[in-house]
Amino acid sequence: MTEVELVPEESARRVLSEAVKNGGDLSEIYIEDRQSTTLSLEDSKVEEAVRGLDRGAGIRVFYGGLATYAHSDDLSEASLLTAAREAASAARGTNRSQVLAFTHAHSDLVFTSQRPFDEVSDRAKGELLRDLDREARVYDPRVSQVQVLYGEYRRRVWIGNSEGLWAEDERNILRLILVVMARRQDLVQESIRGIGGQMGLELLDQVDPVAEVRDAAASAVRMLDAEPAPAGPMPVVMNHGWGGVLFHEACGHALEADAVMQGGSIFAGRLGERVASPLITLVDDATLPGRRGSFRFDDDGRPSQRTVLIEQGVLREYMWDLAQARSAGRQSTGNGRRESFRYLPMPRMTNTLIEAGESDPDDILRSVKRGLYVKMLGGGQADTARGDFVFSVNEGYLIEDGRLTAPVRGANLIGNGPEILREITMVGNDLELDKGLGMCGKGQQVPVGVGQPTLLIPSITVGGTKGH
Amino acid sequence: MDEDYLKLAEDLVARASGGDVEAEAVVTHGQSTMIRVSAGEVREMSRAVSRGLGLRVIKSGRMGYAYTSDFAAPALESTVRAALALADSADRDEYRTLPRHKHSPVSAEDLKIYDDGLSGRSVDGKVGLLLEVERVALGYDPRVVATLYCSYHDELSRVYLANSHGFCGSYERTGIVAYLRAVARDESEQASGMGLGWSVFYEDLDPPEIGAEAARRALELLGGTPVRTQQAEVVLDPFAGTELLSFLAEALTGEATQRGRSFLMGKLGEKIAAEGVCLIDDGRLVGGLASAPFDGEGVPSSRTRLIANGRLEGLLYDTYTANVEGTTSTGNGQRGSHRTLPHPAPTNLYLEPSSTPVAELIGGVEKGLYVTSTMNTGGINPINGDYSVGASGLWVENGEIVRPVTEVTVAGNMLEMLANVQGTADDLRFIPLAASVGAPTMVIGGMTIGGN
Repeated sequence: MTEVELVPEESARRVLSEAVKNGGDLSEIYIEDRQSTTLSLEDSKVEEAVRGLDRGAGIRVFYGGLATYAHSDDLSEASLLTAAREAASAARGTNRSQVLAFTHAHSDLVFTSQRPFDEVSDRAKGELLRDLDREARVYDPRVSQVQVLYGEYRRRVWIGNSEGLWAEDERNILRLILVVMARRQDLVQESIRGIGGQMGLELLDQVDPVAEVRDAAASAVRMLDAEPAPAGPMPVVMNHGWGGVLFHEACGHALEADAVMQGGSIFAGRLGERVASPLITLVDDATLPGRRGSFRFDDDGRPSQRTVLIEQGVLREYMWDLAQARSAGRQSTGNGRRESFRYLPMPRMTNTLIEAGESDPDDILRSVKRGLYVKMLGGGQADTARGDFVFSVNEGYLIEDGRLTAPVRGANLIGNGPEILREITMVGNDLELDKGLGMCGKGQQVPVGVGQPTLLIPSITVGGTKGH
Repeated sequence: MDEDYLKLAEDLVARASGGDVEAEAVVTHGQSTMIRVSAGEVREMSRAVSRGLGLRVIKSGRMGYAYTSDFAAPALESTVRAALALADSADRDEYRTLPRHKHSPVSAEDLKIYDDGLSGRSVDGKVGLLLEVERVALGYDPRVVATLYCSYHDELSRVYLANSHGFCGSYERTGIVAYLRAVARDESEQASGMGLGWSVFYEDLDPPEIGAEAARRALELLGGTPVRTQQAEVVLDPFAGTELLSFLAEALTGEATQRGRSFLMGKLGEKIAAEGVCLIDDGRLVGGLASAPFDGEGVPSSRTRLIANGRLEGLLYDTYTANVEGTTSTGNGQRGSHRTLPHPAPTNLYLEPSSTPVAELIGGVEKGLYVTSTMNTGGINPINGDYSVGASGLWVENGEIVRPVTEVTVAGNMLEMLANVQGTADDLRFIPLAASVGAPTMVIGGMTIGGN
């Protein structure tokens, strides 16, 4: 272990042994240390400056198809042994299972932090927030409010199990969220931008936050002239980058093994079948350097990997964590993730993207006579049983005769993920990953990445307030 | 209750405060159980004891905050140091002060928020309860083929709070929730429906009803199709209604109105809703999931009338936003956990019901959608009032339910929606999905339904 030895390996082995005293099939210890700092600005003032420490461990025992878990904020061996006994209690055997000696797992991936978070003082970070606020406000007098949220955390995890696995990972996540509001009389429009990634402060050298906050201001001001969105079915061109979140929600969740195994997924039992247009290749990749969804080892201790989910329209694989893989008698794909030591891992996406196609993005736009261009998608939700989804459009424009015209507000997209996948007719050659703000909630919050090229969906229902 | 934790909070306040520094410490301690079952078997079981401590300091109007889950001396020492140091990075704001209440007159006992028998309940009993929830759902109809997320959670939480103005208080409360989605399938169609129940006291949970509700909700949507795009009335059931109210509540905070983040900004005292609309936030609601003797900064909980007969009468304030406004806190300084600072947020928020039975309310709908399931709250915007969600439910014509509807959107603007509330039913129900929010079934006119 690094620096502070939170739980000595010998102690971890005794805890794992206690956890299988009733003959559990496998015991696991997950130790976590997370130190975070956030600074937030609103009304041109740095209002909240917060630093925190979360430290604890969880003990998991597998017994047949059952996983029992107990966790503790106290890392003393006595507390961990108590948690181990609690986790062991559901197993019904009499003989203690064996605990093998640890072998340290190795990963070739190197995620470096060139500029550690503490290289810059809290005061200087506060000053950056004030600068960004000023930049947004001088951009246009209609800018009425600015919120800047800076967050950084260093999360270290140690995972050991009774089969002798020992894996360590460190995840440094930085995120700067920029919210700009513009106002004209009673009308207020908000635009959200930001940058983030799994790296140190060098992110601020690579992407200029000032350009981002100006872009947010420009977008909020532009949306003051937005018309109510039309309602009804129409072609939609989805901007590259963050637009990929639609497929994360509408298809990705239905490809997670828990949904598949419980029979609640539209994709269950369809491996090898054609489920999408041949233009579509959907990949989940936890190995991308600098990305929010990346890691060296997942929260089951499995090495991260790149998994092709859909290959030229054909369903190839689901996303598995250790628990689901064990009950299916197969290998995990390294998709076991958890929000913290307070939770059991579950199959989760990492960085999910649609690979580039061959169309020129301008040709895609020109092919549409009348439709909607989605520049920035907002949040969304999907139902894994049917694949239905609903997304809100934060920034959209009408397409008229192949050109962008008026901005529209209040638009929702509603459709069915698998149907959309089959119907996509043009895929751009401009694959882009999102800006690094993505957070996925499935009972637990984990950072994720998404990406896609510009896409044409020939018909999708737009839910606005204006008749068609 | 462990009085040592209260002493710890007081001790940290004493170490951090003095001179021009105000300090406040919160210590939380909780025990929880989570169980998930699927296809008649337990899949996951998790038990935990967790604790945390948060320290807020205000140094001449500059605020710093630090928290820790490690209570060892070195961690406590660096928490005090961090809070004091971070205050120097923040900007000065004369309205940043701590409240000066010494105690709350509200008795935790009178609120009936604590089941002292919960910690003695066996895990086997809780597993049995949850298996019954699932069994009822799967046995309800042969077309119910599976359940998703069939889960039980309970939590016993204890809160200890102290500040440098002499406040010192603690309380304990319990909450239990069980929910699932039932998946129904016939030859060609699949649909899912949610069942949910909650209680403060273990004995009050009704497992068969939770399972049956999920099955009913899934079955009634089987075979649903979109309707054509049109203007129509919308009936919101308590699930959809509480979702709307939780976003409305965001717009009703002193913070949102002062920061220009609310479509209700500047409307205090004005008529903003139809005559019968009364919206209340009640932190003293007996048996409420969010009831407590005091809020996250030691202000006594209170009952606040936000909308009375359609008029906007009040907003939700914590100490800071009340200072800005020149009024007093309504006891709504809520904090999510020991990791977060207090912000104005509802306690138990609800729309007052009428005495009209649901069937009679729906009987008065000429043509419209009875919404029983919504998707994507991202389309509800408390800043400009835009409201747009995906919806499934039942089509109503001349007061009769005629067929299931899926894959449509329902859109409007919350200001117009408030003015167009045509009636409420007598079935007030709290749905604790994001917060403790309650709504009866309600009818809203003039909505846009986006379909084919």
